[in-house]
Amino acid sequence: MTRRVEAVAVVGRDAPLWLAAAAIQRSLGPAGVRVQAVELPSWLASADCYSTLPSLASMHRLLGVDEAKMLRAASGVPVAAQRFSNWAKGAPPYLIAYDDQAGEAGDLPFVQYWLKGHREGLRAGIEDFSLGCVCARAGRVPLGPADTEAKISASYGYNLDARDYAEALKQLVTNRGIEILSGRIADVKLDGERVIGIELEGGERVEADLFVDASGAERVLMMRLPGAEFHSWRDRFSCDRVLTASATQFKSLPAFTQISAFRGGWIGIHPLQDRTAITAVYSSDGISDQTMIAQLSVLARLPVSGEAVVSELKPGLLDRAWIGNCVAIGEAAVAMEPLAAIPLHLAQGCISHLVTLFPATAEEMPEAMPYNDVIRAFASNIADFTQAHYLLNGRFDEPFWEQSREAPATGTLRGKIDLFSARGEVSLRDNETFSEQNWTLLFLGGGIEPDGFDPRIDLLADQPLIELVQQRLRAVAELAKNMPSVDQFVGALGQLQAVGVS
Amino acid sequence: MESNIRDIVIVGGGTAGWMAAGALAKNAPGRRITLIESEEIGTVGVGESTIPPIILFNQLLGIDEDEFVRETNATFKLGIEFVDWRRLGHKYFHNFGMLGADLHTGVPFLHYWMRSLKSGGDPDQLRFSSETEAARRGKFGRVQRAPPGAQPNMHYAFQFDASTYAAYLRRYSERRGVVRKEGKVVNVRQNAETGFIEAVEMQDGSSVRGDFFIDCSGFRGLLIEQVYQAGFEDWSHWLPNDRAAAVPAERMAEPSPFTVARAREAGWQWRIPLQHRTGNGYVYSSSHISDDEVATALLGTLEGKALADPKVLRFKAGRRRKSWVKNCIALGLSSGFLEPLESTSIHLVQAGITKFLDFFPHRECDPILIDRYNEEMAFQYETVRDFIIAHYKVTEREDTEFWRYCRHMSIPDSLSDKLTLFRERSEVKPYPGDLFGDISWFAILYGQGLTPEGYHPLADAMSDDDLQLRLAGIRKAIMERVEALPAHSEFIRRCCAAQPVTTAA
Repeated sequence: MTRRVEAVAVVGRDAPLWLAAAAIQRSLGPAGVRVQAVELPSWLASADCYSTLPSLASMHRLLGVDEAKMLRAASGVPVAAQRFSNWAKGAPPYLIAYDDQAGEAGDLPFVQYWLKGHREGLRAGIEDFSLGCVCARAGRVPLGPADTEAKISASYGYNLDARDYAEALKQLVTNRGIEILSGRIADVKLDGERVIGIELEGGERVEADLFVDASGAERVLMMRLPGAEFHSWRDRFSCDRVLTASATQFKSLPAFTQISAFRGGWIGIHPLQDRTAITAVYSSDGISDQTMIAQLSVLARLPVSGEAVVSELKPGLLDRAWIGNCVAIGEAAVAMEPLAAIPLHLAQGCISHLVTLFPATAEEMPEAMPYNDVIRAFASNIADFTQAHYLLNGRFDEPFWEQSREAPATGTLRGKIDLFSARGEVSLRDNETFSEQNWTLLFLGGGIEPDGFDPRIDLLADQPLIELVQQRLRAVAELAKNMPSVDQFVGALGQLQAVGVS
Repeated sequence: MESNIRDIVIVGGGTAGWMAAGALAKNAPGRRITLIESEEIGTVGVGESTIPPIILFNQLLGIDEDEFVRETNATFKLGIEFVDWRRLGHKYFHNFGMLGADLHTGVPFLHYWMRSLKSGGDPDQLRFSSETEAARRGKFGRVQRAPPGAQPNMHYAFQFDASTYAAYLRRYSERRGVVRKEGKVVNVRQNAETGFIEAVEMQDGSSVRGDFFIDCSGFRGLLIEQVYQAGFEDWSHWLPNDRAAAVPAERMAEPSPFTVARAREAGWQWRIPLQHRTGNGYVYSSSHISDDEVATALLGTLEGKALADPKVLRFKAGRRRKSWVKNCIALGLSSGFLEPLESTSIHLVQAGITKFLDFFPHRECDPILIDRYNEEMAFQYETVRDFIIAHYKVTEREDTEFWRYCRHMSIPDSLSDKLTLFRERSEVKPYPGDLFGDISWFAILYGQGLTPEGYHPLADAMSDDDLQLRLAGIRKAIMERVEALPAHSEFIRRCCAAQPVTTAA
């Protein structure tokens, strides 16, 4: 038989590096694969925050991470939803939450029943039927599974202090016995499309059968390979700057991340246990870094203190995220602004596809082909979801927002918007991160009013429809009432089992 | 709403037409459904073999399975036996269902089995398939839904008489209000502005109007092609078979719970055992063998007495470029043809219908829905096409011109990618919408002689002892389960034997 992959070197920085090293070691260590981590200098600023999707919790489970301990270490706060404000003139803020069910009630997606009801005079909004949204408004955490009978449950993401989180992961990797080398790369030895070995500035050499590039936008290995091509999405996304800063913590923690649009971009307000992280994402064409820093307190409506750091953002993806024996994960494979709380999810998605397609032999690695296909689809769906926020914006007479509305979009995204506008239906593609419900909340929140609905909804008589809708409304309200507040949740982290998180 | 579809017209009966009628009658209530068919136009109905998703179709219609088996003279099917495909004298089985059991490691069982093979284990992966074990012993039974962690359920499909199936669905549909109209369509009336079909005009001068039309008229595509010129993508360079000679024979004393596909000099021959007779046919490439030679070869190898003269059917492998144009979809032969080697004909009709129900349009038929439907149907056809081509391409046979051609022909990129991956790691990584999963691909490719070099590295994480214990435990459970099943013929006799009066072929 041909030779197996025996050694993997993960080269990168910050949370993606540690997540990749830990995940590969955890799944393939027992199969005899040795993992080394090569730690490049961190790019994290003190104010940085990782805003995450609920999927991170499953990654933690996979890695055997003690969730409560991790949240304590990283000043973590649960997030039931994102709240989008000022994305259209005069429109109320809207929420995107993470309900586990697509909101099914009967055979059709719940939004279909809601659309029909809405047409008949139903006053409750779509968010009133989402456990995540109702919890977010009430400052509560939707612990699931809440009600197996009604099949209503929701998940939550986190806001985490980025440096503390990366440090805690590094500790985990160290405890698991993974060898860590730190330094800068002096040289990468290639043989055609394959990496043979790397040499650090300190003189250490690393050889492996498989290399993982987790170096973020530097793409430290990938960009040295012939055939690596970065495909920019700058034409679709105007923002090219991320500014991070801090404010004092909220007295009472909200259960959502606030994403407020302003004339040159958006500002994220991420509650943490000991401070509030602030992110401004904007286009340097419209606003200078100095101006942005100067105006941050006013725009965020919070007194900003301490260090404010600006970094560059170049959205896009590698045409081939796996070349030869080198696999890019996370931002190294696909770079996207953090609007939809996806930076860690991008890393996580790539890692899990890599584990699924872990090369059977150390030679040809035809797994690159399906990996590249799946990452392209995965990234493209996330980019579509992110861009949809911009396309649907209702801020007129502002160049940044005009341009965002007119930016080129994929046929897939246009098709999704058209179909939803026609009948309130979301046509999901393969490898979607965001559920039908996420898209629905986004489209309705973004102001789409569907012209019709699924014709099959007319088969249901008015009376059963009203009952179905009211029953769900009551069930959601009742469930939300019994959920702990964010403060209670955080306070109980010392004894997390007690509040039912396992 | 005013824009709702009220009248649906199905042009053409046969299996596709009546499947559509039944599914719509049940799942699109409140619509008037008319099916036009002519006694003069024969239907292409011979012994029909199906795959497990048909159970979902029966559920969609709310059909009682025993009744259905009784009324269609059906038998049960656990897979397909392929004879002489890899080389003359060689046999393998394409099993339905799963292999082994879920070991809860995130890695499919197949890879653990490959690991045991690579360390000198038994080369027969089907010792871990309940379906195969039962098929080999001529047994059949429905097993209770297994609790999580235990063995997977047994998967099965049916082998039935296509003409009685259509008749059965006709009774089902007519009871639910579908109106059957006898006669031939001679003209189609379109809206001058939109091009939508408004009505079809009949030979007797009457006309049938509708909001939506379903073309089940067979190869000629009365609406989809003759009205809309949807176009045909020809795949015959990959699948050169263009004819079939079919002949019924006397029933087998013990009908096998599987279909046999035997490779022949210029094609392959099916044997589909039904309760009352056995369907046989030889699918061939007319440029490699003559009709007469086929008839002789076919009749010479029947296992029972022939009940009729062989009937020759003609076709061409390929797909209608669009299955949905304006207010018309094509189902069955009018939307494409793939030889029945993997029993996919009925499934493709079913897929077209269920997708249509999912995409149920308003009268104006949103182009976004149409595009998406066409895209998904194209994918369905292509994925089945690739699977069938693999049977011909991956072989050791070079004993006739036909097999030399197949073995050396070029294949679609989508298939060669799958083969590359399979060789490397025992899996082809099907796309989410692929009809055939890794277990089917494994059965076929391994059966055709392609033994992969590697498997998923995660399968090495289990200790040898643990793996051997688990394999032995699963094998034992399969033997016990199959031991407890009745003989296939006994199972049929007990719960779903057909009435002897319905044996007209």
